[in-house]
Amino acid sequence: MRRDPLWRAVRLLEVDLRRVGAAVAAGVGGLGSAIALAAVSAWLIARAAQMPPVSVLSVAAVSVRLFGISRGVLRYVERLASHDVALRGMATLRVRLYERLATTSPAGLVGLRRGDLLARVGADVDAVGDVVVRGLLPMAVAGVLGVASAVAMGIFLPAAGLTLAGCLLLAGVVAPWIARRGVRAVERDAAAARADLAAVGQSLLDGAAELTVTGRVEPMLAELRAADSRLARATDRGAVPAALAAALGPAATGLAVLAALAVGIPATTSGGLHPVELAVVVLTPLAVFESTAVLPGAAVALLRSREAARRIVELLDTAPGASQQPAAVARPRTPDTAPCRSGAALEAHGLVVGWPDGHALVHDLDLTLEPGRSVAVVGPSGLGKTTLLLTLAGLLPAKAGTVLAGGAPVDGRATAAARVALTAEDSHVFDTSVLENLRVARGDVSPDEATRMCSAVGLDRWLEALPHGLETRLGSDAARISGGERRRLLVARALLAPAPVLLLDEPTEHLDTSGRTLLAGLLDGSLAHGRAVLVVTHRLAGLERAGEVILLDATGTVRARGTHTELLTGPRAAPAYRAAWQAEQQEIA
Amino acid sequence: MRPLDPRLLRRARSARRYVLLTAGLGGLTAAAVVAQALLLARALSPVVLRTADWPDVAPLVGWLAAAVATRVLLTWLQERFAHRSAVRAIAELREQVLARAVTLGPRWVAAHPGVTTLATRGLDALEPYFVRYLPQLLLAATVTPATLAVVLAHDLIAAVTITVTLPLIPVFMVLIGRMTQGYADRRLAAMTRLGNQVLDLLAGLPTLRALGRERGPERQVAELGDAHRRATMGTLRVAFLSGMTLELLTTISVALVAVGVGFRLVFGDLSLTTGLAVLVLAPEVYLPLRQVGAHFHASADGVAAAEQAFEVIEQPTPARGTAPAPDLARTTVRLRGVTVAAPDRATFAPTDLDLTVAPGEVVALAGPNGAGKSTTVAVLLGLLDPDTGEVLLDGPDGPVPLGEIDPETFWPQVAWVPQRPVIEPGSVREAVQRGRPVPEAALASAAALTGFDRVVAGLPHGWDQQLGQGGVGLSLGQRQRLALTRALLAPAALVVLDEPTAHLDADGERVVLEAVGRLRAEGRTVLLVAHRTSLLDLADRTVTVASSALAAP
Repeated sequence: MRRDPLWRAVRLLEVDLRRVGAAVAAGVGGLGSAIALAAVSAWLIARAAQMPPVSVLSVAAVSVRLFGISRGVLRYVERLASHDVALRGMATLRVRLYERLATTSPAGLVGLRRGDLLARVGADVDAVGDVVVRGLLPMAVAGVLGVASAVAMGIFLPAAGLTLAGCLLLAGVVAPWIARRGVRAVERDAAAARADLAAVGQSLLDGAAELTVTGRVEPMLAELRAADSRLARATDRGAVPAALAAALGPAATGLAVLAALAVGIPATTSGGLHPVELAVVVLTPLAVFESTAVLPGAAVALLRSREAARRIVELLDTAPGASQQPAAVARPRTPDTAPCRSGAALEAHGLVVGWPDGHALVHDLDLTLEPGRSVAVVGPSGLGKTTLLLTLAGLLPAKAGTVLAGGAPVDGRATAAARVALTAEDSHVFDTSVLENLRVARGDVSPDEATRMCSAVGLDRWLEALPHGLETRLGSDAARISGGERRRLLVARALLAPAPVLLLDEPTEHLDTSGRTLLAGLLDGSLAHGRAVLVVTHRLAGLERAGEVILLDATGTVRARGTHTELLTGPRAAPAYRAAWQAEQQEIA
Repeated sequence: MRPLDPRLLRRARSARRYVLLTAGLGGLTAAAVVAQALLLARALSPVVLRTADWPDVAPLVGWLAAAVATRVLLTWLQERFAHRSAVRAIAELREQVLARAVTLGPRWVAAHPGVTTLATRGLDALEPYFVRYLPQLLLAATVTPATLAVVLAHDLIAAVTITVTLPLIPVFMVLIGRMTQGYADRRLAAMTRLGNQVLDLLAGLPTLRALGRERGPERQVAELGDAHRRATMGTLRVAFLSGMTLELLTTISVALVAVGVGFRLVFGDLSLTTGLAVLVLAPEVYLPLRQVGAHFHASADGVAAAEQAFEVIEQPTPARGTAPAPDLARTTVRLRGVTVAAPDRATFAPTDLDLTVAPGEVVALAGPNGAGKSTTVAVLLGLLDPDTGEVLLDGPDGPVPLGEIDPETFWPQVAWVPQRPVIEPGSVREAVQRGRPVPEAALASAAALTGFDRVVAGLPHGWDQQLGQGGVGLSLGQRQRLALTRALLAPAALVVLDEPTAHLDADGERVVLEAVGRLRAEGRTVLLVAHRTSLLDLADRTVTVASSALAAP
């Protein structure tokens, strides 16, 4: 149980037990009112049939009306209380996740950048919170009420209490267990069919034109029908246990009533049970099973949330380095922006980079970057240039070799952050104002500074066109910003960072010919003002301004290095570089 | 939103059968519920009154057991067939949506990005509608009136109590719904925004770390989480009101019925049997209504998805021509003054394009990105109607507008390699042949020319290698080679290649040049969308496509 990811994730919600207690109490009160209503009205009617004085019935009559009201009210309170517990827990879990991810080992975090892991976190946290509302609390309420009802009936007639307990186990334990098994079987079998369905549907829509022209729409639709009938067969197999679980509900209720009649009537005849109590013992079970009716659904909810919980726990477990770094690293908020005097701004010796669990992508790289100078790393796409940047920034450990920034080794993000700022290709544009997006780099950027920087990177006309200027909110869907503008904004943010070394990944991708000017400005120091700049790019236009161009080949080995001109002509000319340059020139602009 | 849309029954055959089955089961359930209540009351009351003993009522208890068994069986049947019918009905709708979307063409699909989600996942939301909501809706239409009628037959006053409160349920639900809707909508917007901001911070964490700014926002995450909780609770306090009203009304009514029956029993106005029967039946009258209320929200997504599906299915299909296409080997294709407005952009791409492709010619289309080269291809293939201008097929029997031609006679004469070719699931051989067997020698020779033979040699099962959905397992460059091989093998007089070198290296470029050479030697007409000058050199003629800004109004 301790290893169960769901249990661990639920514990991470750090729910307040008093609030849970209050929610369960309200739930027990609400559903208990319904049971009490049934029991007291059974007593009322049976007793009334004996035609006693009306005063005998008055307490029962009042309590029946009271239970009629308290049921609805307490149920309302319970729903609010349980959602409050879950929402508080979800807020806590999000903070814990953030804290853990913010201090996790850089390698683990970088791994998250691949795929949609982070995007799913929101839904996963919701799913774990849902477990509390739809799974655990209803189970607790049903447990308390089940025991209480069985004991109460047992006081009237022990045999009736026992049979009720047995029927409650049938509806509250056996039925959920069967429902869960059914859903698990369906999900296993249906997953493949659903994946096929999605893929065929996607191909049909993506390739609609080509499939139409080649007359392949009908065969693809046949493929779709086949996948759908596989799904139907899987669902059909799962429907057998599902139907069994659903039928166990009324079966348990009916059995409880029949059993109460079977044991209650002889007991009444023999004088062991008062006739009025017989009505209570027989009719109360009709209301008791309302609390167990939700349990098959709760069991399925638990099953479905387990996958979400597993992802969350995995996310937290990818934090082996969490303890390596102190929680609060003392670091000046705005470090000295002046270039470092001691040694080069950034140096790498015999550097080998790669993912921690993968093979080496870039081999034996030597690199020296003086303040105010620039280096461009070029090469075919997909060879590991981005990995190189992550390593230089201290976000990935080097496989071999050393990286020094300002003379000190870059051996972890905490120490490197002040000296090296990285702007990745997929850097995030936050769902906030333009100014706040720029302040992500440095908290004290003034509006004037921001405006100046925007015009420096060619965003002046875009900024003027925005309805509220710097205060305009950029939606996270980036609807207000095109690919090229986004790229320029990221460059502006990078330039505002206080670090003396700037690493930029494909800063001018998605930019038209004017991107050449921006790249040139980054490389010739006119934008970066005395800082060291390293740019990774696969386009060569504008590289004539770079202090040094390093050409990597597909194996990640340095093929050639020198200035742009040296690589094109002269004794160190690289044929591969010239071929790439010519191909790029050939492209019809 | 209608509870049961007649279009659903019209469009999905399985839904029709299912509704009939469920209605039948609902009627039987009503009978079982009534029988259960009456038998229970009859078995219980003489024992309570000490007028009978176990042997006297044992047969009644036996019948009661039969009624219980019937109800259990009916529940089992309902659940057993609900899932099956739901999946089938969803499949029927899915197929119709996809078929219609494909007919409406790529531009329409691009302009309606929601269709993909609808067809792949959205329609699955109909399952709770079919499995949970619909049965309860039909029970509300069968069990509620049946039980009410039986109560009426037994006890007029109890029946009146129920009849008075029953209509209050929908009235109050609607009233509260109206009152709270605006409030809930506003709160929901705030809630969504707060939730998104938290996710935004999490999503931006790598960026914050890359800039060394990851410490600090955790307070913001906590504050946003707290604000999110308060906003959500505010909404829930209002949203749960309708649920509370429903429960209050139903339980108070049952309580009132019970108390009323009790007092009339004291005065001897009623028999105990009747009293017990009414007491057991009263909650059953309300139960389906409560269930409909409980499953209403779960089914709302499904109903919304179904409505979206009907919108797609009911789109009129574009009219198609009927004239047979001329033999393309002897036909000149002419585009005259073709202009197409680009979607979402204030440009025409292409603008006023004239293009003539004579039989046996190799013509290249050039122009900057976004000029409308691929759009021109779509117009020429009859996939897109130009806003102005026309496409003529000038064959041996004189020129015919493309719009008048039955595309089923035109398309088989065309081989088209789009920028992202579709690779259908199946073996490599099937993907290349596309349902049209090709001699092994021709296959080998075409593959050798495009370099696809080396790709095949590298696959574990060669030509019989199964390709995943969408050709996963092949790189873009390999897919391009496959598509090129396919085009070489297709017996088409007109071959259209859209940026065939886009994902290929220098060796790949040579392959394309050779393939085009082979096509030219075979006397086929080739239209190339070119990206590199080497391709332009290969063409007999180059036509430049240009876009223009939309005239300011």
